[in-house]
Amino acid sequence: MADLTVDLGKLKLKNPVMTASGTFGYGFEYKDYFDLRSLGAVVVKGIAMKPSHGNSTPRVAETHGGMLNAIGLQGPGVEKFLHGDEYMPFLRKSGAVVIVNIWGKSIEEYRDVAARLDAEKDGIAALEINISCPNIKEGGVAFGTDLNLAHQVVAKVRQATSLPLITKLSPNVTKIADFARAVTDAGTDMVSLINTITGMAININTRRPKIANLTGGLSGPAIKPIAIRMVYEVSKAVKTPIIGMGGIMDGDDAVEFMLAGASAVAVGTAIFADPYAPLKVIDGINAYLERQGCKSVKEIIGGMILK
Amino acid sequence: MTTGEIVSNTILHDGYYKVEFFAPEICAKTQPGQFVHVKIANLRDRILRRPFSISDVNENGILTVIYKVVGEGTEVLAGLPAGTVCDLMGPLGKPFSLPGENELPVIVAGGYGSAATYLLAKRSPVKGVLLLGARSEADLILTDKFAAAGFDVRLATQDGSQGHKGLVTELIPPLLQEKSGQKIRFYGCGPMPMLIALSKMLQKGGFGGGEVSLDHLMCCGVGACFACVVKIKADNEDGWRYARTCKEGPVFTADDVYTDGE
Repeated sequence: MADLTVDLGKLKLKNPVMTASGTFGYGFEYKDYFDLRSLGAVVVKGIAMKPSHGNSTPRVAETHGGMLNAIGLQGPGVEKFLHGDEYMPFLRKSGAVVIVNIWGKSIEEYRDVAARLDAEKDGIAALEINISCPNIKEGGVAFGTDLNLAHQVVAKVRQATSLPLITKLSPNVTKIADFARAVTDAGTDMVSLINTITGMAININTRRPKIANLTGGLSGPAIKPIAIRMVYEVSKAVKTPIIGMGGIMDGDDAVEFMLAGASAVAVGTAIFADPYAPLKVIDGINAYLERQGCKSVKEIIGGMILK
Repeated sequence: MTTGEIVSNTILHDGYYKVEFFAPEICAKTQPGQFVHVKIANLRDRILRRPFSISDVNENGILTVIYKVVGEGTEVLAGLPAGTVCDLMGPLGKPFSLPGENELPVIVAGGYGSAATYLLAKRSPVKGVLLLGARSEADLILTDKFAAAGFDVRLATQDGSQGHKGLVTELIPPLLQEKSGQKIRFYGCGPMPMLIALSKMLQKGGFGGGEVSLDHLMCCGVGACFACVVKIKADNEDGWRYARTCKEGPVFTADDVYTDGE
């Protein structure tokens, strides 16, 4: 077994594989499938100050090599998350490394959620700031596609917590590296990318949109080449550790992200096809390292050979 | 999670198929109304699973699913020969509760809602009534199986090709008159408008309790993704919340279904 530990600055993980926010619920939903401690980290679904209904249905549509979703951040709100049995109390008992994804409809709400979680941070390893959800009208992607707003959100959250901060970047911008620089300047410790790519699909028989929200976020293997390109661009622009994601289905996909410059990866849509996908990705990375004669996974980070 | 080898996969009639998996572990745990989440083999670049109601299980480990070809997934499934192995998750979801010994079960089913309620009829300690509605005669499935399970089968078709001409819910008032004095437990499975109508009727009261099986486009199957939600009554300012049909359902108490303006 190769050494799979990774060092993301303030966050050190036993292996580089996390779950992507929104694809693994709050961990509780998969507790009967495997020990959550097997993962590098569990990244939970987005948490805001108040409970939220989310969007109207239909919320998902399958596409070639992936899917569109516009769930709209349905969630319990921070108080229930901190104290409801199926949320943080369960996660604390599970022993998993927990990263809490946060969102808000205003800069102040982002700050308030972060402060609230910071006040009861036992068992929380880091926060991931979601400035890139394409599916809600207020907040979300509005902050992730404007350099000034992105900077302001991260700076405010930075003041509210001492927890390590990850900022999740939107791919729905012209130059993602500029956003990586802006949030790094604002104090993020890590960046994660990519969130989903805005897309649309129409049922030609009924002539209706396949998603009630009209547009949704495209995920799955179809988006992987775009994600690899963006991870590479960001790795050239900032020294900030990168968590790469976008269509990872197996260990080889994860290795590709790491060669492009990611220090860790997240598995998302693949979990819907196979709940054990994150574990298979860990095994697959190890198998690659052994094939290549690498003693540590750190040897392959940014290891693409250009000539 | 487990695998299931296809034992047989045959057309029933008119686009309806029956597939049998050898899946003893799932069969042993299955209760009426639950579903199995199938990774259809050979689906190439379609990566998601497809949920199917479990129609029947037996002591030999055979799990039966009745399905209709409605899209790429079911089209590929229909072409899979015996011997093909599929990845299965299940049984998933909350089941129907069996009727009490003094309750008459009345199953109200639309379309292939009869497939999802067959195991309920088979396991029901009291033999009751199946009210089955469909567009046309060709869409009425499993009626002989219900009859063999001791159920009184009454039919409705929208085109009048068999049974009452009209909606299946129109069979309820005469049945209530006929069975007056008996405690009835309703079970609903079928299209959403039918289930809303049934839930509204049950919520008015006077007919005994009931349960309905609701679903919506499903993705993860375990409650993680929040894709398959439906409106359920809730004690908040809106009076409803979105509940996950895969985990909190598919079976809900009819009283809990949010029917205002639906």
